Amino acid sequence: MEREDFLKKFLFFFTCIILVRCFYLQIVRYPYYYQLSIKNCIRVIETGIPRGIIYDRNGRVLAKDAPSANLVFVPYDIKDVEKVIEILSDILNYDRESLRKKLTRKYINPFDRVVLKRNLTSLEISLIEENLYRLPGIFVQEDIKRVYTFGKGTAHLLGYIGEISKEQLDRLKNKGFKMGDIIGQDGIEKKYDEYLRGIPGGIQVEVDALGHQRRILGRKEGTSGNDIILSIDATIQEIAYEELGEKKGCIAIMDPRNGEILALVSKPAFDPENLISYLDERKHSEKPFLNRVIKGQYPPGSIFKIITEISALETGIIKEYDRIECTGIMEVRDRVFHCWKEEGHGWVDINLALPFSCNIFFGTVGMKLGVSRLIEFAKNFELGKPTGIDLPGEASGYIPSPYEADPLNLSIGQGPITTTPIQLLNLISTVANGGNIWQPFIVKKIISKKGEIIKENTPYLKKTVYIDSETLDILRKGLKNVVEFGTGVRAKVKGLEIAGKTGTAQRAATEIGLPTHGAFVCYAPFDNPKIAIVVFLDYGSSPEAADIAGKILKRIFIPEKMEEGNETETEIYEE
Amino acid sequence: MKQKLKYMRNSISEKNLISFSYILIFIGLCILFSASKGIVLAKEGFLIRQILWVLIGTFFVYIFRNSDYRGLEKATYIFYPLILIFLSIVLVKGEGRASRWIGFGWFYFQPSEFAKLIVIITLSSYLSRRDIRRFPVLFTSLIIVGIPFLLVFKQPNLGTAIIFILIFLGIAYIAGITRKQLIGLFLIVILSSPLLWAIMREYQRERILTFINPMRDPLGKGYNLLQAKITIGSGGFIGKGFMQGTQTKLAFLPEYHTDFIFCVIAEEFGFLGVLIFVLIYYYFLNKILEIVKETKDDFGKFVATGIFVMFAGHFLINLGMTIGIFPIVGIPLPFISYGGSSLIVSILSVIILSSIKNYSTLF
Repeated sequence: MEREDFLKKFLFFFTCIILVRCFYLQIVRYPYYYQLSIKNCIRVIETGIPRGIIYDRNGRVLAKDAPSANLVFVPYDIKDVEKVIEILSDILNYDRESLRKKLTRKYINPFDRVVLKRNLTSLEISLIEENLYRLPGIFVQEDIKRVYTFGKGTAHLLGYIGEISKEQLDRLKNKGFKMGDIIGQDGIEKKYDEYLRGIPGGIQVEVDALGHQRRILGRKEGTSGNDIILSIDATIQEIAYEELGEKKGCIAIMDPRNGEILALVSKPAFDPENLISYLDERKHSEKPFLNRVIKGQYPPGSIFKIITEISALETGIIKEYDRIECTGIMEVRDRVFHCWKEEGHGWVDINLALPFSCNIFFGTVGMKLGVSRLIEFAKNFELGKPTGIDLPGEASGYIPSPYEADPLNLSIGQGPITTTPIQLLNLISTVANGGNIWQPFIVKKIISKKGEIIKENTPYLKKTVYIDSETLDILRKGLKNVVEFGTGVRAKVKGLEIAGKTGTAQRAATEIGLPTHGAFVCYAPFDNPKIAIVVFLDYGSSPEAADIAGKILKRIFIPEKMEEGNETETEIYEE
Repeated sequence: MKQKLKYMRNSISEKNLISFSYILIFIGLCILFSASKGIVLAKEGFLIRQILWVLIGTFFVYIFRNSDYRGLEKATYIFYPLILIFLSIVLVKGEGRASRWIGFGWFYFQPSEFAKLIVIITLSSYLSRRDIRRFPVLFTSLIIVGIPFLLVFKQPNLGTAIIFILIFLGIAYIAGITRKQLIGLFLIVILSSPLLWAIMREYQRERILTFINPMRDPLGKGYNLLQAKITIGSGGFIGKGFMQGTQTKLAFLPEYHTDFIFCVIAEEFGFLGVLIFVLIYYYFLNKILEIVKETKDDFGKFVATGIFVMFAGHFLINLGMTIGIFPIVGIPLPFISYGGSSLIVSILSVIILSSIKNYSTLF
């Protein structure tokens, strides 16, 4: 009967179509689909991006890589969120809400691993591994962490590394960065990130559709980035860190002959290996992430008298032995101007005014000079301008326009003028070396793992300011006397001639009456300056700052005398 | 001795279809065994459960091996209303997007699977006594299939709904529907298709659109289809070897133990395995067609036709959707896919076919 035959033909026809289609998929298109199936189940899990080592000038390691473990999860696999939170919040000591937020967020690819916590401690690892069977979708994955030899001691100098932020990703997408990448977030780690970062290593694993690792197929070691040699002397860095103690403030030490930074410390500091505990404090008034040396903007206070003195002598407004009487009080038009010493300094010339930091003397001189000339000299010495140090985020400070400032306040470094500690360090160095303004720098050399020099920073003379030698002599003598018998007497070190200047910086005119900022800049030895220091103390006094500088200088120079030509001496750049 | 041999040969040929279906069941269990070694489903023990279903099916074979299929005609008066009630319950109780099951404690069953067989018997019984060329008969036939069709379609279970249409067309065709009537029906379908599109659930429309262009959404709706193609294609000529499939083992392909079971065969045994498997199935379906041809009794003939259409429809649509020449409608591959209801219905169908073959020749 034809109707049944039709059914038969119908079946035959479609069966043939199915076979033809299978032939096409399995024979003709086999290579294509085979490749796709391989791609499906083989995944490379990155095992961290190795970074170069950061050395100090003497080859001491400041930062290096170490193996670590991360806790990761596959969002798709987290079914019982509450249970996971229950177990993990205890082990990791995490707040439940933030954990829930992270676990339940919408991820673009729910099969991709997301890092929940970096740098697990060995206790955490063992606790998690014990509970792993109760935590589907949670894994411990190897990674690389950064170890900082001096921890908090180099926090602001070296910075820290961290996961790339959204803004950074938008900016760096074209350079091959991707979400979750670790990059330098501050300091040298950030500034020289492109040199430090290496090529990530990875393990090739067979995974199932849920991203579960089935077996390891291969392993590729990462390639480390380049090493960096700093101008920093770890010994001096350590000394500075210790001497600053628990005070809030900063210290920077530079070689005045070439601009090499020997130490850079800012406090309060953060622990670069354990940032999480500081993240909440980011908004805190203590600002542990603020590198005060380059980002702190303060009125220079009496340190600015160096500029006033140079301008006065250079322009001939005043001669070395011209005297002015300080009664402790001065009336200018409707304003009353006080010297810091209530009873006054009596008749003083410039040789005594600087050591005693007499406000009346410098105020009077400043009035004669006028605002414009003071500003001109300040700008000539590169105040109110970033020094160009190789750290990210340097602030510029501010030099007011002639209309904003009055000569009385400006001549003693008060009013709307602000500078950064590094600028003041540069200023004292310029005095020390007789007029050369070097660009401060921290990185000396970048060396590849093979030993080739990738980049070498040589001292860069930004400009030379002409200062009459007579002016220089008077100024230096005055600065020496600051430490000998003046306001900076606490910096005095037996057997070492030091020239320095104290400064009490008022945050702003509106803050008068509030605790002041104490500062001290100095260089030593007097005849052959090798070290210049700036010490800035938030809410501290300038004698305290001088005290710290003195202690540092003592520790640098006094033992050096006993063993001639030790490390700091031999390595320091000779002009 | 000779007589004894003849008897044995006869007895084999009588049971031929049932024995042959056990070859398919055995293949299915092997594939399920391989699939059970994969992740995700390994713990669920669905292989054990499937074996249990095979045993229950075998028990039915034992009980009904000598029953007369003609007894079914009367049973339809009970079963047809009963299945409509069950389908309604599923529709009312149905939770989630595509709930097709009814549960009694540990025991779950899928009324839509049984509905196919019951509709076949009911329609065959009705048409065996009337002439389909008469309009009221055609109309009533449409109602008989139409009610369960709509209930299943609303579940929504597009695959089974399509099978209902095929069953109707198959039986009506063998029952002698005229070309005019067919064209008329076809026109009605064409004209009402916009309406059909309107009652379709969003995901059903999506599936049809995805079928037209699978790259529309490679990680979402098109994922199954794309992964199915990768799974089959990567099998090559000889396959990756028994239990060596990466696609199915590593669960890139979802539902590989139910609707996409054919992928396991294709991946692990390659084109060669596919060829052998398809030929076995083809042979099985042809055997049913032989029964259709031999049967003189209208009721038996129609039932056999309906069962043939049901098996052939499942076979062609299931394979067609896995290899990407038919929209993914979610129907199992009889005897091979995991699922108790489907397996029991398949075994019962084979028992009925065997009974038709045995009893219809008695006249």
